Amino acid sequence: MTAKDKEALELRAQIQQHLVESGNYELISNKLAQRLLDEGWIDQVKKLTRETMQDDNTTNFSEVLKRVEPEAVSLVSANTKNEIMQQIKAFLCDILDTQ
Amino acid sequence: MTLGRDAMTPLTVLSVSETIYHNLLTSIVQDIVSRTTSRQQLQDARYPGLAPLHHDQRGALDVYGRPKPQEASVYFRCPNCSRDLSANRFAAHLERCMSRGARRG
Repeated sequence: MTAKDKEALELRAQIQQHLVESGNYELISNKLAQRLLDEGWIDQVKKLTRETMQDDNTTNFSEVLKRVEPEAVSLVSANTKNEIMQQIKAFLCDILDTQ
Repeated sequence: MTLGRDAMTPLTVLSVSETIYHNLLTSIVQDIVSRTTSRQQLQDARYPGLAPLHHDQRGALDVYGRPKPQEASVYFRCPNCSRDLSANRFAAHLERCMSRGARRG
């Protein structure tokens, strides 16, 4: 890992730290969870998990997660994703200097 | 909360936002999957070989896969007069049976 990568990693960690400390992380996290619940995504993922367990005949967490996660991420509606992304970007623009 | 996933991509507002969004989303997915799998593990350990509840598309069979029983053919004993009577006549029977009992007592 080059020095530049290290710096980038550190910056990401700093941003996340700031996001948590300012209380915005919780705000965004709650909003995302609420949206996903409202649009039925949470129940869709639960159903998907149960079906995956039945199809593969396994209850192993990492095996099930490996199959469920990519599909669950793609199941989020464009509306919800855009809105949350907007909010994160707005917050980042507030605290960051961009060239 | 690790941010190392795509440390190699150029650092822009968009890429950082994507990472944060992805972190939030995957932790929710992980939470759901872990709850569901451990629940299933507990059920398997406690009741091995438990059959799932029956689902009938036509809505004719119950959760055990059985048809609706004829109530008229089910009999049980009246605790007041100890006579066997048809289950769908029980309320009508009680009205007469209890009042007669009250008169006697």
